[in-house]
Amino acid sequence: MLVDVSFPLISILIALPILAGLAIPLLFKNSQKYIIHYAILIALIELFITFYSYGLILSNGSGGEYNFVEGPVKILGNFGIDYLAGMDGLSGPLVLITSILTLLVIFGSRDLIEDRKVLYFSMIFLFQGSIMGVFTQLNMILFYVFWDLVLIPMFLFIGIWGGPRKRYAAMKFFLFTFVGSVFMLLAFILIYFSVSPHSFNIPEIAGKIPLSLQIISSVLFFIGFGVKLPVVPFHSWLPDAHVEAPAPISVFLAGLLLKMGGYGFLRFNIGLLPEASAQYAWIFILVGIITMFYGAIVAIVQTDIKKMIALTSVSHMGFVLVGAFTGTIFGISGSVFQMFTHAAAVGLMFMLSGYLHKATGTRNITVIKGLKFSSPRLATLLILGSMAAMCIPIFSSFISEYMVIVGAIQINPIYALIVAVPAITVGYFLWMLRRVVMSDPKSNVKKWDLSNVSTIALVLYLVPLVLTLIAPWLILDVVNPFSTVYAANFRLMSGGAA
Amino acid sequence: MQPKLDTPLVVLVVLTSVAVTSPLYEMIFGKKSLKYVQYLTILSLLVSLILLISSTLSLTPQESTVPHLLRNDTLGSFFSFIVILVTLFVSITSFDYMKGNPNERVYYSLLLFTAIGMTMLCFAVDLLVIFVAFELMSLPTFILAGYNKQDKLSNEAAVKFFILGALSSGILLYGISIMFGITGSTNLEVISQSLTSLSPDMLPFVIFSTVSMLAGLGLKLSIVPFHMWIPDTYEGSPTTVSTLLSAATKKAGFASAIRIFAVIFPLFYFDLSLALAIIALVTMTLGNLAALTQKSITRMLAYSSIAQAGYLLIGIVVLPYTNLGLIGLLYHSFNHAILQATAFLAAGLVRLKTSSSSLDSYNGLSKVMPITSFCLALSLLGLAGIPPLNGFWSKLILFSAAVDGGYAWLALAGLVNTAISVAYYLLVIKRMYMDETSIKAIKEPFIFISVLVFATAIIIVTGLLPNVLYDIAEDITISFLANNPV
Repeated sequence: MLVDVSFPLISILIALPILAGLAIPLLFKNSQKYIIHYAILIALIELFITFYSYGLILSNGSGGEYNFVEGPVKILGNFGIDYLAGMDGLSGPLVLITSILTLLVIFGSRDLIEDRKVLYFSMIFLFQGSIMGVFTQLNMILFYVFWDLVLIPMFLFIGIWGGPRKRYAAMKFFLFTFVGSVFMLLAFILIYFSVSPHSFNIPEIAGKIPLSLQIISSVLFFIGFGVKLPVVPFHSWLPDAHVEAPAPISVFLAGLLLKMGGYGFLRFNIGLLPEASAQYAWIFILVGIITMFYGAIVAIVQTDIKKMIALTSVSHMGFVLVGAFTGTIFGISGSVFQMFTHAAAVGLMFMLSGYLHKATGTRNITVIKGLKFSSPRLATLLILGSMAAMCIPIFSSFISEYMVIVGAIQINPIYALIVAVPAITVGYFLWMLRRVVMSDPKSNVKKWDLSNVSTIALVLYLVPLVLTLIAPWLILDVVNPFSTVYAANFRLMSGGAA
Repeated sequence: MQPKLDTPLVVLVVLTSVAVTSPLYEMIFGKKSLKYVQYLTILSLLVSLILLISSTLSLTPQESTVPHLLRNDTLGSFFSFIVILVTLFVSITSFDYMKGNPNERVYYSLLLFTAIGMTMLCFAVDLLVIFVAFELMSLPTFILAGYNKQDKLSNEAAVKFFILGALSSGILLYGISIMFGITGSTNLEVISQSLTSLSPDMLPFVIFSTVSMLAGLGLKLSIVPFHMWIPDTYEGSPTTVSTLLSAATKKAGFASAIRIFAVIFPLFYFDLSLALAIIALVTMTLGNLAALTQKSITRMLAYSSIAQAGYLLIGIVVLPYTNLGLIGLLYHSFNHAILQATAFLAAGLVRLKTSSSSLDSYNGLSKVMPITSFCLALSLLGLAGIPPLNGFWSKLILFSAAVDGGYAWLALAGLVNTAISVAYYLLVIKRMYMDETSIKAIKEPFIFISVLVFATAIIIVTGLLPNVLYDIAEDITISFLANNPV
């Protein structure tokens, strides 16, 4: 079932950014003039490799199995830690959005990051490489290695380039996510010793884990991935991290880091522990629904636009959780698609909040007035971005959310009540737009607007959203084979009822 | 026929010849003698290191001329390799750290005597030799701890260390004498044989003797409740000496503990294993919780060192159940020695330059001492077990060993402790990289920095290529357990 190519595509996807990032301090020791060009070049190369590999999966229709498999190469003797990488219909869209967002974040950093650029850009690439590792590693321990490696650049991003309470936010972020990951590691070790022959490789252990351990592992994974996603009891690090992080880093946080949690739930809870997940799916769905409503309702009262968007993310991640645990093709495909569209939509909103702060000196919704007069381009993009985040049907975020809702209703009609969440979302976004964009301007507002280049860079966020609305098969043809396999497995475990 | 080598004896002779003669050079060479002493110390340690590497990897055929006293096996070579490497780091950095101290020559001689004691302890298989080695290792460190004789804290460190050290030696000797009374021998192999045919009436005495020996060694292993002296001594001694204590003498103690427990375990492993598991749990938890509240980096590292002893103890707990335990113990001993040495030496350099070990003096340090900060940050991340640094792999194996040995709760405790420990390690990194400072740029001495960079390179390389050390540890474990079936 493993499609093999001799060319190590995935290793290049992981190693290129990391090595390029480590080279930055050596290359740009004295002059930082061309650092941005270098960064864009590397990100473009990475993007082309991603397009190539994604295109191969798309044209082969091989999203249901692992592509470009490398290894297993032994890393730690007989102790089961192998380098084993592969890309399937779950990894594909996430790898794709990683490459796209990295490029866009580098564009955005041009305007918004001024000091310690050498460290900043090398950390950007370390982050990108580690995220690539998270989405492609099929050995649980190496997955964990990359999972933790992501924390270090993000810790520095928040702690060095952040806002007034950056140190507090950075520590809180690191501790929350690290504590979560420790429980995940325990589950990995328990699983390793429960299967025979002992193995950390996901393809080798699928379907071998006894039910009792599946239930224990479900709880441990729930803590690990739930902190990252985040689900409601573990979400409190997220608003702090978002508010303090600089805008481009918020894009990474919401666009990629949260997706690690969604990826984990799908790959491990649904993929490895289908029995326990099927039996206790209602708990996860319930938590997902609470997360959705909590995020949406708390977002209404926020006055900081960035905090509002952060809580929108929490709400949207609830959809990912619900979609995954419906265990239907619609639900699983919808939640992967949702991760893809949410990354682009919320990424744009966070970048705009950064520019808004630059233009007006504040992010307070009640203070900013008449943006359509003072910064027409920014205002237009803010409206478009809000439409994407509201899941209005001119962007593909609509399709993804719709798919999750359909999947949920398939399971139980009572879940139809989650339709209320998009309604609330529309409500607070429109209220925000009315206050910020559509209001009368203050008398002495100075005009400031986006440069041409920045405008183009920001419009680029919308391209994938429009493109996948017109041609949703670009994503779904990769994801659906994957969801078919996982959903069939899941149905089997829940006793065949559908 | 190929000539065979008795590594322990050769190493002991090499080190002793330098240690004994070096205080005398002053009479012959006058003022220049300091340089000679330093170079000879380094040279002798390097020669020993090469011998031990070749013996660990069994490049040359080995034999022992006194097999009933010093067993020439790879386990001993591996541990003495660790302690000699740390001693080497300590000696080189002492060039800067001890500069201007009136008794510098004797200092190096004492370092070498400690190294001799540690090497002997790593190879010793006779309880009396273990005791002699234990004393030989301890006595010079009492003096070294109080080396800054004008400093009150240094005096306190030495006195506290000496009193508890003397007490622990006494308890150790008491345990040994009871064991001799029961079995009629001090040789571990003979003891092992006579214990198998022991009448059940004698069991309480064996337990008593084991507990006494554990208490005696426990002082060096820095396990709770024998840890009281550690924070004060590490804080008061010259930081290079603290490095030696936490990174080297502790490892030699573990080498000896492995040998003793491998012999005693078959007799009543269940209770002992559980008791040790509880000690491990208490040790790591207390160490980490106490470290959270410290205001001084040396005290923080001291408590962290206690916590790490708790992790290492897991390896002994599961000794009877799984090979992974000993593999993890060996692997983590090496990693912890390097990480702890790097962290302590970096702290020592900061103390040398800012004459403070308070955590406040680390604010914004990355701007004035970039290389030191980087090395310290990496070693702290390694101690915390952040992948892909070497500390992660060995902790992973230790915790896996706990699960494999049926102590899943101990693995959970270890992991939760790891999560706690990240808080205080990270706090130092936060101070160095994110806080502001008023200190002006500091020149980092070249030799000191080279040692730090070299040690950091080991941390990174063994982290990226964990296979090398794992394979060595596995080979050693298999050959050790083949000779000492547990």
